Amino acid sequence: MLHEITLNINGEPYPVVVKSHYTLARVLREQLGLTGTKIGCENGECGACTVLLDGAPVNSCLVLAVEAEGHEIETVESLSRGGDLHPLQKAFIEHNAIQCGFCTPGMLMSSKALLARNPHPTEEEVREALVGNLCRCTGYVRIVDAVLDVGSPVLEAES
Amino acid sequence: MRPFDYYRPEVFEEAFRWLLLPEKKVLPLAGATDLIPMVRDGLWQPDVVVDIKGLPGMGDLVVTEEGLRVGAAVRMTELVHHPLVNSTPWNLLAQAAAAMGNEQIRNRATLGGNLCTASPAADSAPALLTLEAQALIRGPEGERRVPIASFFVGPRKTVLQKGELLVGVLIPALPEGTAGTYVKLSRRKAGDLAIVGVAALASPRNGGYEWRLALGAVAPTPIRAPEAEAALNAGHDAAAIERAMHCAFDACCPIDDVRASAAYRRAMVGRITQRAIEGVLERLS
Ligand SMILES: Cc1cc2nc3c(=O)[nH]c(=O)nc-3n(C[C@H](O)[C@H](O)[C@H](O)COP(=O)(O)OP(=O)(O)OC[C@H]3O[C@@H](n4cnc5c(N)ncnc54)[C@H](O)[C@@H]3O)c2cc1C
Ligand code: FES
Ligand code: FES
Repeated sequence: MLHEITLNINGEPYPVVVKSHYTLARVLREQLGLTGTKIGCENGECGACTVLLDGAPVNSCLVLAVEAEGHEIETVESLSRGGDLHPLQKAFIEHNAIQCGFCTPGMLMSSKALLARNPHPTEEEVREALVGNLCRCTGYVRIVDAVLDVGSPVLEAES
Repeated sequence: MRPFDYYRPEVFEEAFRWLLLPEKKVLPLAGATDLIPMVRDGLWQPDVVVDIKGLPGMGDLVVTEEGLRVGAAVRMTELVHHPLVNSTPWNLLAQAAAAMGNEQIRNRATLGGNLCTASPAADSAPALLTLEAQALIRGPEGERRVPIASFFVGPRKTVLQKGELLVGVLIPALPEGTAGTYVKLSRRKAGDLAIVGVAALASPRNGGYEWRLALGAVAPTPIRAPEAEAALNAGHDAAAIERAMHCAFDACCPIDDVRASAAYRRAMVGRITQRAIEGVLERLS
């Protein structure tokens, strides 16, 4: 069954025709060319496909594209508008929080949502927010440090 | 993933029409966190899915004369953060919701989906058992209510008949001073299904306490442990807690699976029961 829908992605309307069983992850990547969102397990386990739906992180491999109609979708592509990197992206680079980079888009989106609801999280809170994002490379420490840095009240006061 | 058709009805009559399509395998769809993985693995093969999230009342979270009414499509994240749940005697449900999966899963997973999947390890089940919730069921013939204790009939089986939907649960009011705890043992600190999950609740009664205990992931369905409760009702000193641990051990009949052996589950159920009881006592003091 086909659905003619408009998806609201990063503030722009994207008219698209999707099949009922297509997931948002698949449509983002294969039909809309937004390949920043990664597909790992396709089972809700790894978080590589994390996007924000009305500001809340979700696994886009567990959302049907047709279900996302009428909601605000944010992907990693939204972070560096106009060539300027998002503070989280800068911190990930500064802290070497990236090795292969496959988990990074998901990590960034989960972290962005965390900082939006809790601007100064503790290490425990960062780790809790990233439970659903698996990284096979970094051992997490540098990722957690990068997020803590952006969420640090000191840094904010300095800037 | 095997193709299926998708409908999103806004009224129940239409939902029942789709759910009862002849010669089609039709499944309700809520948060899809169980459904999509099951379809992808070929374990479920729906021809049609019916998105129930837009049906009237499915997103309700309201207090009525009868207690707290939670719509089937209310998401775990909402249960974690909603003041009607997390700062009332019903907060055991918020604890159970917080123990589930991870942030991304909690943002999609619904209470109704957790109950209807009827996994023996469903985290919301022990909480709702001790809260003595009623399942609110609606079908083409009308509505009926079933105590949560009779809602589960086996692993992945509920009392729901073809065409019926769970529309919500009703949790009766509890006396002030009630305290509950959910303790979950899993392979990781967070993010995985329970190896053992125990909910404990104590309500003031006649100068003492009435205890309720429920166990998850250690029997074909989540279960109450009435002997363990009786052991505590007489007074919750160390000897009574010890007796309750043994009763919980006797009440369970776990299986081996990828998460743990039956022997390990059996070995742990007493200890997790003890932690749940101690958690309640801390909250009472
Ligand atoms: C990575 C991951 C981690 C998880 N961790 C946990 C965990 O820690 N604890 C836990 O308990 N679960 C866990 N789960 C399982 C799952 O997330 C929960 O069971 C969830 O609550 C299911 O709800 P849903 O809304 O996503 O259901 P769906 O997938 O939409 O539906 C589940 C089933 O219920 C039926 N259904 C849904 N709503 C209704 C209704 N109103 N009436 C009738 N039938 C209905 C559907 O047809 C389907 O058969 C996890 C899943 C994943 C992928
Ligand atoms: S690809 Fe979606 S969670 Fe792994
Ligand atoms: S950097 Fe490789 S998976 Fe995280």
